Amino acid sequence: MIWFIMIAAGLFTFATRFIMLSNGISNRPPPWLVDALGFVPIAVLTAIIVPAILIDPADQTIALWDNPRLFAAALAIIAALVTRQMITTIGVGIVALWVLQWAM
Amino acid sequence: MPNAQNSPKASQNLSARSEFWAGVCEEMPLIFGVAPFGLVFGVLGLESGLTPWQTILMSSILFGGASQIVFAQLWAAGVPALIVGGSVCVINTRHVLYSASIAAYLRHLPLRWRILLGYLLTDEAYAISIRRFQHAPPGPHQHFHLLGSGMLLWTSWQFSTIFGVLVGGTIPDSWSLSFAIPLTFIAIVAPILKTRADLAAAATAGTIAILGQPLPWNLWLITAAIGGILAGWLVNRLNHQAGATS
Repeated sequence: MIWFIMIAAGLFTFATRFIMLSNGISNRPPPWLVDALGFVPIAVLTAIIVPAILIDPADQTIALWDNPRLFAAALAIIAALVTRQMITTIGVGIVALWVLQWAM
Repeated sequence: MPNAQNSPKASQNLSARSEFWAGVCEEMPLIFGVAPFGLVFGVLGLESGLTPWQTILMSSILFGGASQIVFAQLWAAGVPALIVGGSVCVINTRHVLYSASIAAYLRHLPLRWRILLGYLLTDEAYAISIRRFQHAPPGPHQHFHLLGSGMLLWTSWQFSTIFGVLVGGTIPDSWSLSFAIPLTFIAIVAPILKTRADLAAAATAGTIAILGQPLPWNLWLITAAIGGILAGWLVNRLNHQAGATS
């Protein structure tokens, strides 16, 4: 079953990449669709980021002030905005988490 | 500033080989972001209960980082297969944009080339090669640039996944390596949040992702994604209307 889903999703993904190169469709997608697809990365990735930071993996509750992941993520956001480098952002966030987990 | 690439003589007749290596070299800085991401996916795949082969081959079959992470997480949570597949598909629809934007430069190629370059058309390869297509003078071998950027990315992704699968079991939980996933996505999202519509998309998606936690089958993810897309799209549209009438 997992192979079936993986291959089906893989074929769909290939189709999204190939579709406009296929010469079967000569028009660009309609502007409203281009606008909407432009928000896919922000929406999807934020939907993954926020629970990964706020939901405590131990008991599945929302954690705010006693949550080292929240503060580590805040530092990582600053690092991302300042350096725009993925490796620095990951490094700052992970090290901040280690320090905070040790300190809190 | 004078730019060698903008001078027609400099690059009009670049050979296939120099186009290919230009693509490889320009893609190189992005590998520092892609390699840790692939490694994290390799580790996470095993943690999610995928076999080593399922984890490694997913990197070739899907070849899309965020969608692979989501696949593994939903699969680990026991979400019905149809919802896993549907979520992965929604995440990957964005490639239609890249395909549409780059089509003008590739449409004349033989089918086997378009299939190969379509398969290699990821966020990172697109970002690098569209710059060459748009800003350097066209050349007969310019598609080799995308072949170079795409193949470097593909190779790095496969090797970093395999590396993650191999070392995954040896990394202690106390290292909190799974936290690298939200960090990777923060590195992608934070710098691209520019307009009010972007912020609306992010705020809506994040809020729904939290409030929707009680939904069955991890439906919060797909609901939050679609909600965020709609919010961004609406604010964008309202802004344009306000701009048009004022």
